[in-house]
Amino acid sequence: MFSYVFMQNAFIVSILISILCPCIGIFLVLRRYSMIGDTLSHASLAGVTIGLLCNQNPILGAFIFTSICGALIEFLRTYFKKNTDLILAIVLSLGVGTAITLISSGRLHANADAFMFGSILTVSGSDMIMVLIISIISVSAVILLYNEMLYIAYDEEAAKVAGVKVKLINYVFSILVASAIAVSIKTVGVLVISSMITLPVATALQLEKGFRLTLIFSVIVSMIDIISGLLISYYLNVAPGGFTALISVAVLAVVLLLKNIRNW
Amino acid sequence: MIKIEKLFFSYTGNPPFLLDGIDLSINHGDYVSVVGENGCGKSTLLRLILNFLKPTHGSVISEAKMVGYVPQRSESLNFGFPITVYEMLDSYRKLLKIDDKKIISETLSIFGLNNFLNTLVHTLSGGQTQKTLIARALIGHPELLLLDEPSTGIDIDSQKEIYATLKKLNTVNGITIVSVEHNLDAAIANSTLIYHMSGGKGHFCSPNRYAAEYLNNQKEVTSIV
Repeated sequence: MFSYVFMQNAFIVSILISILCPCIGIFLVLRRYSMIGDTLSHASLAGVTIGLLCNQNPILGAFIFTSICGALIEFLRTYFKKNTDLILAIVLSLGVGTAITLISSGRLHANADAFMFGSILTVSGSDMIMVLIISIISVSAVILLYNEMLYIAYDEEAAKVAGVKVKLINYVFSILVASAIAVSIKTVGVLVISSMITLPVATALQLEKGFRLTLIFSVIVSMIDIISGLLISYYLNVAPGGFTALISVAVLAVVLLLKNIRNW
Repeated sequence: MIKIEKLFFSYTGNPPFLLDGIDLSINHGDYVSVVGENGCGKSTLLRLILNFLKPTHGSVISEAKMVGYVPQRSESLNFGFPITVYEMLDSYRKLLKIDDKKIISETLSIFGLNNFLNTLVHTLSGGQTQKTLIARALIGHPELLLLDEPSTGIDIDSQKEIYATLKKLNTVNGITIVSVEHNLDAAIANSTLIYHMSGGKGHFCSPNRYAAEYLNNQKEVTSIV
């Protein structure tokens, strides 16, 4: 199977996704912002279509447009303090509206379907380099801003008292969410990216450990989910994104079951 | 340490004002308990001193270079967050750019909590959580310590321990303390000044005088100036 170049590319991208997504996802989940992942992943489809329309790399298009949408969510927070769920509806409308309009216009230079469901066959060498660069920058940012992001998620007021520039870090975090989505979009597909971001974290949280261990377990669970999803989907000849989402749910169910048996 | 002049504040930015022309000055070494009915603006005043809120009119000036803040326990913490006592304090230490790791065990030892380093914060009792929050506030060696109802929902023994520690921090370590209080007995017993708020205004008085009024009337005190 690994004699195929596309499988080698897909495997490397999968490893990167399994590291980056839970590193971002843990902060989203613990801030109870899981639905932001879903909103931005749908918005990323607009970035893909803009990239295809302009004959540019669609992953770069997804990264830029999703970053803008992430920043827009932060900006709109000032105006919708009491109805933050409305912000997601607004950004979702902007993203999906743009995507549908561009796809239906027939002016795209390639098919956007692969980005909806994910396809390992279409991950090219240039895509892989783009994903590698975005992943390295994003994971480095998470390491550098680890304490700031941890405290904003845990106790934002304490973070402010300690001198953390909360608004600035929130904008940087929006870009990190965008990068996780852009990295995942081609292999996993728009429709199930949010499960890559949230489900490994949900599984790791069941182990009831401290933050650092929860993060490490999230990455381990994510690797198990994504790599087994990739390998099995190859043999079953189905889209890896959808099958990985199913494995993620199954792994969570097994962990919940084992936890209940232990506590019984 | 803190100088507040002609402070007006409302959450809408328009009248009526929750804080209606407050002038106050808190000196280095004071232990001020801010008291008053629910909704009179005590916590809002604290949040203005912390710069979480901006005055509608007037000014709030704090000279403290390092501030420690102990929030209302139930409102502040993200319940169920997977964080150990050590992680909570160590990350805070790093945010304050303090290199010496020993500060964590030093502050925890004030309340004898060193055995709880690897315990998840949300599994601690109310009293233990509050003591941990005070320990965190002390990590930066603050000149000014701001507390929002430090004894709400806490057992009597923990309350005694917390107030004894606060008094010691004030008298021995010279830390200026401003504490929003519902616990009037603790406010009278420990503070050097009481700041009583009512109707958007506030007045200082001595704990003894406040106690005399409070114990005589056993009801809302409105006439002390």
